[in-house]
Amino acid sequence: MSTQKIVIDPITRIEGHLRAEVEVDADGVVQEAYVSGQLFRGIEIILKNRDPRDAGLLAGRICGVCTNSHFRAAVTSVEDAYSLELPNSAQIIRDLMAMALFIQDHVVHFYHLHSLDFVDITSALNADPKSTSKEAHKYHKKPFRNSHSHYESVLEKLSNFVKAGKLGPFSNGYWGHSEYKLTPEQNLVIISHYLEALKFQTTISKAVAIFGGKTPHPQSIVVGGVTSVADMLNPQRLNDYLFIIKNAKEFIDRAYLPDAKLLSIAYRDDIKSGVGRANGNFLSVGGYAFDDKELFCNGVVYNHDFENIADFEEYKITEEIDRAWYKGDSLDNEIEYTDFNEDGSLKTAKNDDKYSWIKAPRYAGKVMETGPLARVIISYKKENILIKSFVDEFLKDTDLELMDLSTTVGRDAARAIETGYICEYIFKLVSRLIQNIKYYDTETWAKYDFDSLKKRAKGRAFLEVPRGTLSHFIKIQDAKIENFSVIAPTTWNATPRNFDGVRGAYEEALLGLKIEDTSKPLEVLRVLHSFDPCLACAVHIIDAKGKNLGKYKI
Amino acid sequence: MRIIIIGGGIAAVYLANNLKKQNAHLEIILISEEKYHPYDRIHLCRLVDASSTTDGLSLHLDPTVKLELNQKIDKIDKKNRRIFSNTRMFSYDKLIIATGSLPVPLFNIEGISNATVFRSADDSRQIKEGIRNRNIVIVGSGPIGLELLETLNGMRDVSNITLLLRGNHLYTKELSIDSIRTIEECYKKEGKLTISYEDEIIDKIVKNSEIISLKTKKLQIEKPFLIFATGIKPNIESFRDTLACKKGILTNLYMQTEDENIYAVGECAEVEEFRFVAGHVKECTAQADAAISHILQTNIKKFELAISIDMLKVGEFDLVEVSSAFFTDSYEKVLISSKKESRIDEYFLNDNRLTRFIGVNSNVDIGYIETLIQSENEVDINYLYQNRLIGERGRLICSCEHVYHQDLVDIVTSSGISSFLELADFSEAGRVCGRCKLMVEDVIKKSQELIDKNIPRKSTEDIKRDKEIAKVQKRIDKFNTLNPRNKLTTDNLDSAMKSLDIAKHEINSWISMVTADMKLHPNFEQLVEDAVYNLNKVPIIWLELSDCSGNSEAFIKSTNPAIEELIFDYISLDYHELLMSASGDQSESILENIIKNEKGMYILIVEGAIPLAMDGKYLRIGPKGETGIELLQKCAKDAALVLAVGSCALDGGIVAAAPNPTGAVGVSQALNRDDIINLPGCPTNPTNIVGTLLSYLMFEELPALDKLNRPLWAYEGRVHDNCERRGHYELGEFVHEWGDSGAKKGYCLFEMGCKGPYANVNCSTIKFNSGTSWPVQAGHGCMGCTEVGFVDKFANERKYEEEKK
Ligand SMILES: Cc1cc2nc3c(=O)[nH]c(=O)nc-3n(C[C@H](O)[C@H](O)[C@H](O)COP(=O)(O)OP(=O)(O)OC[C@H]3O[C@@H](n4cnc5c(N)ncnc54)[C@H](O)[C@@H]3O)c2cc1C
Ligand code: SF4
Ligand code: SF4
Repeated sequence: MSTQKIVIDPITRIEGHLRAEVEVDADGVVQEAYVSGQLFRGIEIILKNRDPRDAGLLAGRICGVCTNSHFRAAVTSVEDAYSLELPNSAQIIRDLMAMALFIQDHVVHFYHLHSLDFVDITSALNADPKSTSKEAHKYHKKPFRNSHSHYESVLEKLSNFVKAGKLGPFSNGYWGHSEYKLTPEQNLVIISHYLEALKFQTTISKAVAIFGGKTPHPQSIVVGGVTSVADMLNPQRLNDYLFIIKNAKEFIDRAYLPDAKLLSIAYRDDIKSGVGRANGNFLSVGGYAFDDKELFCNGVVYNHDFENIADFEEYKITEEIDRAWYKGDSLDNEIEYTDFNEDGSLKTAKNDDKYSWIKAPRYAGKVMETGPLARVIISYKKENILIKSFVDEFLKDTDLELMDLSTTVGRDAARAIETGYICEYIFKLVSRLIQNIKYYDTETWAKYDFDSLKKRAKGRAFLEVPRGTLSHFIKIQDAKIENFSVIAPTTWNATPRNFDGVRGAYEEALLGLKIEDTSKPLEVLRVLHSFDPCLACAVHIIDAKGKNLGKYKI
Repeated sequence: MRIIIIGGGIAAVYLANNLKKQNAHLEIILISEEKYHPYDRIHLCRLVDASSTTDGLSLHLDPTVKLELNQKIDKIDKKNRRIFSNTRMFSYDKLIIATGSLPVPLFNIEGISNATVFRSADDSRQIKEGIRNRNIVIVGSGPIGLELLETLNGMRDVSNITLLLRGNHLYTKELSIDSIRTIEECYKKEGKLTISYEDEIIDKIVKNSEIISLKTKKLQIEKPFLIFATGIKPNIESFRDTLACKKGILTNLYMQTEDENIYAVGECAEVEEFRFVAGHVKECTAQADAAISHILQTNIKKFELAISIDMLKVGEFDLVEVSSAFFTDSYEKVLISSKKESRIDEYFLNDNRLTRFIGVNSNVDIGYIETLIQSENEVDINYLYQNRLIGERGRLICSCEHVYHQDLVDIVTSSGISSFLELADFSEAGRVCGRCKLMVEDVIKKSQELIDKNIPRKSTEDIKRDKEIAKVQKRIDKFNTLNPRNKLTTDNLDSAMKSLDIAKHEINSWISMVTADMKLHPNFEQLVEDAVYNLNKVPIIWLELSDCSGNSEAFIKSTNPAIEELIFDYISLDYHELLMSASGDQSESILENIIKNEKGMYILIVEGAIPLAMDGKYLRIGPKGETGIELLQKCAKDAALVLAVGSCALDGGIVAAAPNPTGAVGVSQALNRDDIINLPGCPTNPTNIVGTLLSYLMFEELPALDKLNRPLWAYEGRVHDNCERRGHYELGEFVHEWGDSGAKKGYCLFEMGCKGPYANVNCSTIKFNSGTSWPVQAGHGCMGCTEVGFVDKFANERKYEEEKK
């Protein structure tokens, strides 16, 4: 049967340079898919031979979207190497920054990076403001800014853009595509929240900056603690932070979660037929302590078998480079780049053709999916009390089962659910911090004398960050970084194949997808966006073929 | 780095001041054999007729430059990088020789009280004091001899001057006989002058260190005072043994001598490639610029031969000479003269191309002559004739700025200027080589009575601002009419804003903030607002190359997101991978459309470094898999303006940090262009991006830039200077350990490696995330992310001084 190859590059509304190539049959069904990271920077090479205390500031620059995550993971790996015990309050300050980032990332992802895959802006123009406010009531008792006058003004604004002949970021979308399933009113509800979210994300980023100095690229974490002690001790700062989170919670409860429900109901058919499902292997390393429990549980799921969740064991991580543009199996991979085909497509024909800058991490030899979906499934199944009620409520309201979340729309639902319970968790964190300060536990730095620390050491950090599991590994020799290695969430999800030919999560999720109009591959974008790709994070080298990370790796 | 400059002349002072300007941390020592603070040699005549003093001619020297007077350097020890005078030794990292020229008398005049050359303040003093009741004899009629002649001619106690000339010409042997006669007539009007052509000294009687009488071929002169204006030669005797010399000290085009640590600049140097020795201030400063750029390795530029302009004003006549380096003896001459006006224009042509012009009482526009020479086109003689009288602007006053007498009078009367100082806001006249400064002052003084006292006098500040505002208004109108594709009107935008619930006052306060951040007067607010509304007329392409999206992120979270989102995302930010809804082919077509249809109109913003290794294939974008560098070149070619946003775009940033695995460079280097505006930062504060876009719109010219092409309004001040913890710094109250009691109290972070003292940017005043905080407030300190090579240099928590060791 004749197949057609569709190349999509650049994939927009994501961080970084991602290319997708899919082969569809005559019916437009995806038969094969390749995704490729198109930028290599080599930050790990740059980290070599530097003072370990500088790793944070440099590694933070791996990504401007997940900046805080890399900053913190790098510093944590150094602390692990030197066995430094972080003061309690410093840990909380770091968590407060991280949690605000979760909220910001998820909201921005849903509205600004992803919603237009489902929401047809031009259709929203035909909405009736009155029915719109009725529609919104179906998903929440008190929907966010739900007056018809408000919807009227949103409509006016939209029509002004259209009249102006300049849609800005909305231009050249796939408007009118038959895969857009929402009613005009549903479209208008989400669009109106889209605009609100613009303000929202600015406000929430202030929460990161209160303790981080700025964001992106906060600058307040140092090996052994945090520097923003004066902010911590200033009640006004804490107040400001709380105030922002309280407002955020309003928006999440009354706009974000209801919108996720709306989508889940409207796209029920897609969900039920498993559109966008990957291979069902999930990974979470857990983390974020409260009381004697953790916000996220660690665990590994194989093949959608939710009943048998294995514990996460770091030695099972390996990395491969058979299909990535590297060669050799020493620690210093060399580059082995293969150019594009004449027609501008990637060389993928042969089983050992290399086609991406992303390496292939595997857990127990298997491709894994990581991210909010993995965390929700694993934590829920491990009876995590903090999140259980949130999941139950969502599934009940949408009449779905846990398995249904392992789809394109389900991934977005999981992300929204997670955002809901993170707000709850933040309030617990803040009250713990206030307790600490009340009892004069104001230490924010674990004292050490760098010159008397070990000259040789190894450390690692495993962190759950907005897009999934992040790990940093460091090896120190003569008080300098000898090796540094990163596996980011997108490295897992956007991994290329390996010698065994098993597709990565992105690739697997694309398989069998039906594309209505091959000149407008909206469906492909939907699937990829649901993973919230972050390419700057994903591309990393250093580790060698088939080497076992836990034991030897760096 | 310690730089020693030998010399106390214009070249030396210019070098010292400009090195300091570029890098205030340099240690600079200026060593002069003279006993005076460096002064302006060009105006030495003013010392002769006592219309000024040595102090009055004194050149401005940066006060942090160390000045050593009375030290004649006579030896260099290249190997150990030391130099010696007969009493002192100085060691250097870089040495610049700027010892100028030595005048050459026709016989040894050492120890003779009534014979001198004319080069220094001491010479002038000797002339001033020695000429009384003497028969003055000037030998030589080059520009300097003639200028001195003019001065002496005008002095009351001088009654008798003889000009002794070996040839039969004045000024230069190429001058036509008509011109010579005209000049001669002028000089002779006073009745004091005898010119003896084809004559020379053949004998003299010296008694008690005094020449009693002189015998020339044609004359016998008793009680003479003899002044040699016979020529100069590079002053290099002290260095001949140590450095390769011909006429002068040989240098390459960067003024570097055979020793890589030694440079020679000004009249003492000979640029080997052109066999060129400077004779004008402009050439000396051009050489200095080349040397500075090479020493500091920034914006490196070669010395190039340029056109020189000379002027001589004597009583009623003036002489202007414009000449290029391509002038040779095999010229043809076109003479256009008018007896009635005593005007003579002499055009010198080599191969039908204009290579030199000498005008006596000419009022041809000198700027126009300069372009004619520069163009190197064949000239049409008719054309020269028709254009002989284009100016009604009177005499040329300032040859560097091409300001004529009438221009100056107009400026003075219309703006009510009362002093040279005030003129600075309106014209550079008199400020470039300084040659005409006194003349300019004269015109200002004489024009005072023409100023209409009844016109309400605005302050010069007001006038300047009005002018600026008028200019901005014009520019905004221009953009209004340009309106390339966009049909959005201000009305629409207004209502759109309303629907986003942005109250007018919110817009206003944002505008005030941007206006203040841009360091503009509040009167500009209205214009800033107009500019904001007009930004929608300028399409923007935002390219992400080898980056982390940090600047895009920051931009989205900018100060007033609602407004800025509206302005940029919805209205003009046409191509941005992170934000736009089109993917793949669709986004390609957007890009192609802008480039094609908005040629020369769109602004290109680049975020990220450009990997050049492996043919740039470390980064590929788009359906055809273009490399980052290809895409950048394509987009930059027809952009009206290229902004490099973020530190990676400046110089590769983190991506280019050692060992720079992907061969990454910044935008300017990748495109090999020096007109890229850099807005470094990690990330760049969005207010600085918005402000730069606005200023592009408001002002015809680009904002004033520093040496890294960063807009001064945002990057001029040091972080340290405006830091909220500066008070603690001054009091010596420092944080010594993270989280210590000082940290809790907000003490200065210098001991914890704060790089605020080395970073130039406005972080401390505008902060981040709507003014929420900034790294110093968060107790960490600055890491100098706006500076070149910050990752390798500053991105750590250790003190810079210690780290350097
Ligand atoms: C009267 C007059 C009028 C002029 N008019 C014009 C004009 O209108 N336009 C124009 O463009 N140019 C004019 N010039 C030429 C111009 O002044 C020179 O081109 C310029 O001054 C050269 O600068 P310089 O720094 O190279 O040398 P100089 O100005 O000669 O400075 C050299 C300095 O080095 C010192 N020095 C020398 N040897 C040593 C040593 N071994 N150790 C320590 N110090 C030493 C000298 O004392 C002197 O201070 C004029 C010159 C004169 C004299
Ligand atoms: S904290 Fe840094 S910028 Fe501020 S005063 Fe101290 S050294 Fe200067
Ligand atoms: S304070 Fe320093 S490190 Fe921070 S953003 Fe400004 S220049 Fe960069």
